[in-house]
Amino acid sequence: MAERQYDVTVIGGGPGGYVAAIRAAQLGMKIGLVERDKLGGVCLNWGCVPSKALIKSAELYNAFKKSQEFGISHTGLTYDFSKIIARSRGVADRISKGVEYLMKKNKIETISGTAKLIGRNSIEVTKDGKVTDTIKSKSIILATGGRPRSVPGVTIDRKKIITSTEAMSLTEQPKSLIVIGGGAIGVEFAYFYNSFGTKVTIVEMLPSILPIEDKEITKILDTSLKKSGIDILTNTKVESVKIDHEVTVTVSDNDGKKDIKADLALMAVGVQANIENLGLEAVGVKTERGFISVNEFGKTNIDGIYAIGDASGQPLLAHVASHEGIVAVDHIAGKAKHGIDKLNIPSCTYCQPQVASVGLTEEAAVAKGYKVKIGRFPFRPLGKAMAIGETEGTVKLVFDEKYGELLGAHIIGSEATEMIAELGMAKALETTWEELHNTMHAHPTLSEAVMEAAGQAFDVAINI
Amino acid sequence: MQVEIIMPKMGESIQEGTILRWVKNLGEKIEKDETLLEISTDKVDSEIPSPVSGIVAKVFAKEHDTVLVGTIIAYIETDASISIDTYQDVSPEATAKKPQEDIGVPQDQLSIVQDWEQKRNAQRFYSPLVKMIAKREGIAQRDLEKIKGSGSNGRVTKDDVFTYLKQRERNAAELYSNDRSFSILSVDILELSKKYPSPKYRIVKMDNIQKKMAEHMVRSVNTTPHVTVVDEADMTEIVNFRLSILEQFEKRQGFKLTYTPFFAYAVVSTLKEFPLVNCSVEGDTIIYKNFINLGMAVASPNGLIVPVVRNAEEKNFVDMARSLTDIALRARTKKLTPNDIADGTFSMTNYGIFGSIIGTPIINQPQSAIIGVGLIKKRPQVVTNDSGKDSIGIRSVVYLTMTFDHRIIDGATGGKFLSRVKWQLEHFDFQSVK
Repeated sequence: MAERQYDVTVIGGGPGGYVAAIRAAQLGMKIGLVERDKLGGVCLNWGCVPSKALIKSAELYNAFKKSQEFGISHTGLTYDFSKIIARSRGVADRISKGVEYLMKKNKIETISGTAKLIGRNSIEVTKDGKVTDTIKSKSIILATGGRPRSVPGVTIDRKKIITSTEAMSLTEQPKSLIVIGGGAIGVEFAYFYNSFGTKVTIVEMLPSILPIEDKEITKILDTSLKKSGIDILTNTKVESVKIDHEVTVTVSDNDGKKDIKADLALMAVGVQANIENLGLEAVGVKTERGFISVNEFGKTNIDGIYAIGDASGQPLLAHVASHEGIVAVDHIAGKAKHGIDKLNIPSCTYCQPQVASVGLTEEAAVAKGYKVKIGRFPFRPLGKAMAIGETEGTVKLVFDEKYGELLGAHIIGSEATEMIAELGMAKALETTWEELHNTMHAHPTLSEAVMEAAGQAFDVAINI
Repeated sequence: MQVEIIMPKMGESIQEGTILRWVKNLGEKIEKDETLLEISTDKVDSEIPSPVSGIVAKVFAKEHDTVLVGTIIAYIETDASISIDTYQDVSPEATAKKPQEDIGVPQDQLSIVQDWEQKRNAQRFYSPLVKMIAKREGIAQRDLEKIKGSGSNGRVTKDDVFTYLKQRERNAAELYSNDRSFSILSVDILELSKKYPSPKYRIVKMDNIQKKMAEHMVRSVNTTPHVTVVDEADMTEIVNFRLSILEQFEKRQGFKLTYTPFFAYAVVSTLKEFPLVNCSVEGDTIIYKNFINLGMAVASPNGLIVPVVRNAEEKNFVDMARSLTDIALRARTKKLTPNDIADGTFSMTNYGIFGSIIGTPIINQPQSAIIGVGLIKKRPQVVTNDSGKDSIGIRSVVYLTMTFDHRIIDGATGGKFLSRVKWQLEHFDFQSVK
């Protein structure tokens, strides 16, 4: 059994943990990182990145399906589901290796095993039921991530009722799929499977899919996905799930109960934190509603113990985890001035049309007491949109009327997830509508819609 | 010439700073605005630029030394002809200047430091939103430059500006309501009880209203040069008239007719002719009010209070009488609302009801004048009849006093105002009562 000593020990090697570790190494600290599975965490191995690989296959396939429009014809368009999955796994492996390389480069000691707090400054690591290491550490960062959660009374068996992990590694394509939960993960898989001909039904309890996004945007998405053949049931609750040779999901809405059947059901109602068997109770780390309670710098109620990423609660996004990791390490080093700005977190959904947003929705801004000015600009009149055949889309910007501050930005359409970066920067630099409107945007681009939407809010848009 | 460099004050609460690094060392040449040294306080790290071009002539503090704000840490020699060989290190104890206790930095040096900070801040980046807020809220560039930035590289964020605006608002409010120089000191009651032992003495803390009154009076006297003029008015006709309709009035209107509405009505009529008396002064500016909110001093169970008849200029006699009765009643029964005592433009006080014949009232700030009414008393008066013949008659007479703010109202205006009130009372329009 090895005894180790570190300045900072990070538990969990996902996008929160490994970034925190590198940051700490940059500041000259001695770092240990404990990971029970693969470096890179859910995001790199079973989440954000491999799912984007799958979606690229779907986009390509859809592009071929409409290539006639562009003067390209082909015969015998086919696909190999297992190769699509294999490519996605290959991407995940490559990126995980990349993280391993970064750990070595930054001289971060990685310890394979499951960590448990046994004191404010002590950790025990076990592997295969045996204690392999004890660690003494001045500070500890809990970056244990999360896992898909289920609806009450429904057990995920990972065969018929699956999670995103299985959904991106199936050996056989299902003929039909019920997606329980209309958030980003549910919508992305619905898009992917529907593109290859799986009959997809989304069941969402709230009034709209992507419920945290702006209502105007989700309405457009709803229409678009329905047009592509996806059934969407909103205001609909899952009552029970029965498994035999297929899956029967009993749902209820205002009109009563009904059964829907499919080969598989994908549980995508959200994520719960991995905080069990971590020794939190023994040390006295406070939790709230299943997540570790932290302050703006990620510090828990115990000095020297921090929590970041999915383990410490909303919003559960990889880029938030990474940022929180940096803030936590800076705080340990006494260098942090501010926590992360929760009003400037971009959120992206990679179905087509893509949905991306940053800041407040119109509803949220009004609820906060702002008098708002709204700017909208559709993709349709843009030269670039017409040229590339992507006219479905809109930019919606929310401004404070008094000072012209950009409060929120909401984009639906092809490339929305790339376009949102400009608006995140604009918010971070505290621009007003005038700079957005007066900054020259290259022609022809889809980003011209951002410039025009800013102008439209204050009635000076040109091309509408 | 040698220019002294002192440890600048980097924030309100910051008393000392640590020298991180001398960027220019003893004997080195430095240009104006070039960084001389880097310092660190418990809040921020900063680069300190040189205020002048020259040569680092003396250095009194080593790197990692922590020194008090206001301490001289170096001298810059601006005269290029002086050889640098003559400069030597001098022990800091020997020459270090201690900051003055009250302000932290000697006044003359403080301004130098502020100039530097401003100069440095003038070059910093302001986000478009910050500039827009500054424009909308009327923050001058030089005030903007004084705002401490909490963003990266000391950048001013919108939150910093909003914090500044809140502070500015608070300062403005305090300037009037809580000016320290007028506030009543809180003294230690235990200490006092030793000096004034019971049962020989009884010591009681002022309650809030007493304290407010004390502050209000001290502030008024300290703000305004008070001048008081006195006149007398023959009230005989009003006294007779009032007696003649007293019963009938009460029956019809439901409340008793006092003398107060007669005075109030005469005063409001006069105020319409003298807008300068119905104004307030802020600094070098006169604020004329195009409405008359007449304050009426009332002795309430809580102490002196001055409720207001709003838009008195629009009221006829009966309305005025009713409003006065209403506020006086509510003052005595503690039923006034904050709105009832706000925004008075001119006040009246009637000490005649306590038997006083003449008083010199204190102005109810921020108003510019107050009128005092004494006891109506029968006196032997010289009466001149229409044919110019004098005789002694028994007349009901009142002494009116007017105290005014001599910053804007001169004796002529004050005197004319008061004699016009007297005229209004002696030639009262009794039609308005009916």
